[in-house]
Amino acid sequence: MAKLPESGDTDGRTAALVIEFRNVGKTYKSLLGNSVKAVEEFSLVVGEGEILGIAGPNGAGKTTLIAMMLGYLRPTTGTVEINGVPARQYVERHGIGYLSELIAINPKWRAETALVRFATLAGIAQSEIPRRVDYVVDLLGLAEHRDKKVKALSKGNLQRLGLAQALLRDEQILVLDEPTHGLDPVWTQRFRDIVQELRRPDRMILIASHNLDELQRLADRVAIIDRGRLQRVVSTSYENTGDGSTAQPVATRFRLTLASGHELIRAVFPQAEDAGRGEYDVTVNSLPELNGALADLIGKGALVASVVPERSVLEQQFREAVGESQ
Amino acid sequence: MNRAAGLARYSLWQFRDFAVDRGLSILVIGFLWGYALIEPIRHVVGPQVAGSASPLWVVAVQVSSAVVSVAVLVALNGIVSADRKAGYYRFLFSKPVNPVLFYAQLFFVYMVGVIAAMFLLSSLLHKMLPTFSIPHFLLYTALVYIAMGGIGFFLSVTTRYDWLSLAAVWLGARVLRGIYGAGSDWRSKLVEILPPVHRLDDVATSLIGTGSAHMADVLWLFGYGALFFALGLAALRWGSLAD
Repeated sequence: MAKLPESGDTDGRTAALVIEFRNVGKTYKSLLGNSVKAVEEFSLVVGEGEILGIAGPNGAGKTTLIAMMLGYLRPTTGTVEINGVPARQYVERHGIGYLSELIAINPKWRAETALVRFATLAGIAQSEIPRRVDYVVDLLGLAEHRDKKVKALSKGNLQRLGLAQALLRDEQILVLDEPTHGLDPVWTQRFRDIVQELRRPDRMILIASHNLDELQRLADRVAIIDRGRLQRVVSTSYENTGDGSTAQPVATRFRLTLASGHELIRAVFPQAEDAGRGEYDVTVNSLPELNGALADLIGKGALVASVVPERSVLEQQFREAVGESQ
Repeated sequence: MNRAAGLARYSLWQFRDFAVDRGLSILVIGFLWGYALIEPIRHVVGPQVAGSASPLWVVAVQVSSAVVSVAVLVALNGIVSADRKAGYYRFLFSKPVNPVLFYAQLFFVYMVGVIAAMFLLSSLLHKMLPTFSIPHFLLYTALVYIAMGGIGFFLSVTTRYDWLSLAAVWLGARVLRGIYGAGSDWRSKLVEILPPVHRLDDVATSLIGTGSAHMADVLWLFGYGALFFALGLAALRWGSLAD
C-alpha cells in the first residue's frame, strides 16, 4: 500500500496521545420525562499506538460513546478528554478521522466533489487537495465511481467513500464505527490490511464492531460494553500485558486438520475426536502442552494443515461478559 | 495547515449550495409573484408608472417586501437543523472546524445570496418602474434578513421544524400585535416581547421609497434579529450537535 503523503497537517501535536473517559454517563430524557441511560459510569484510558476494539450487542452504547468522544454529545456526567482538553475542543483544533456507522453524505454531491469539500473544510492546502483525493480514491478503489453521485453508490462503495473521507488528513486518531458493514469479503480483507498499514506508534485507532473475529485480528484490546456499562477489557494478546486488561485466556479445545499421518493422531492425542474429513477435535490444558504435542506429532511424520480454536476466545469472553450483565 | 483559511475557502461551496438549492427557487418565486401582480397593473396604468403615488408603486412596494420575507424564509429553512436531521454533521465536524464559525459563516453567505437574488429581481422591477431604487431595496433586504433571519437561525439551532416555527412566530407576532398591541393590559405588555413585525410595513414603505426610515424602528428590528442570532450561536456552542 502506498504511504499516505505527508501533509504537514499535524498542527504542532507533540504530546503523547491519550483519550480518557472518566465516569462518563449519558442519559436521554424525553419531553414526557422518561429517561434512558445509554452510558453509565464508563471509565477507560486509551493510549497512542494502540488499536482499541469496542464490542457490544445492539443498543449497548457504542455509538453514544463515540458521539461523546467526538464532542457531538455532551456527557450527562463525567468527562471525555483528549490530551487533557475536552474532546470537542481537541476535535476542533486537530480533527479526527471518523467513519460513522451511518454514512451521511449529501446524496446530490458527486463522490470526488464530496472528498474535495471535506478536504477543503479540513484545511488541506488548495494545491495539495488533488493529490490527497487521488490517494484515497486509489487506496479505496473508487476511481471508477469518482464522478458518480453519492446517491448512485452501492452500500459497499458508500462505505468506502466514508472511509476515504476519514483518511484524507494524516490524523492521529481514527475512529471507525462498524467499518466493514456492507463490504464484500475482498474489501473486508482489504480494509484489514489498510488498518494494519495505518498502525503507527503515534496514532490511536478505535474500532467499534459487532464482528468479534475482526476485532480479534485487528485490536490490541477490546472493551466489551453492554447496557451502557464497561463489562471488561480483554487483551487480544496471549501475553499478559500488565495494562489492567484481562489477558487472553488460552482456548482449551482446538480443531486440528491433518494433511497426512492420520494414524499417528491417537498416539499423541489419545482423546482426539474424529470430526471427519481429516479433522480432529483435541483438548489441552495449556499452550505449552499443545505446542509440545504438535511437535511430537510432526516429529512422528504427520503433516499438520491447520490448528484452529473451536471457539474464538474473544467470543467466549464476550458471551461471558454480556451474560454476566443480564 | 490553516483551519481558518479552509473554512473561508469552504464559503464558495456554501454559496454554490445556496445558488442551486435556494437561490433559483427564490428567483422563480419572486419573478412569478411580481410578474403576476405587477404586470397587469402596469398594463392598465400605462405611462403613469413613474409616480410614487401611483397604485403600481404601492403594489410594487408591498410585493417586493413580501418577496423579501419569503426569500429569507426559503434561505433560512433548515440552515442548521437539516445537517442534524440528515446526520451530515458527523463528517463535517470531525474535521478541525468550529461549528459556531461554520454556521455563522453560512448565515452571512446566505445573506449575500439573498441580496444577490434580490438585486436581480429588483433590476427587473427597476426596468418596469424606474423610480424603484435598487440600493434602497437592498438595504431593506439586509435589514429583514437580519431581523427575520436572526430569529430563523435561532429556531433552526433549537428545533427541527424551523421554517414552520419561523412562519408561526413571524405571522403570529403580526396577528397578536394587531389584536393586543393597542391595549394596556398584561396581554399588550406580553406582545411587546414578540418580534417587532408591526414596524415592518412602515419601514418597508419609507426605506424602499426614500432610503431612510425611523431609526428607532430600524434599530429595534435589527437588534431583535441580532440578539436571536447571537443566542443561536450560543446554543450551538453550549448545546449538543447530535441532540
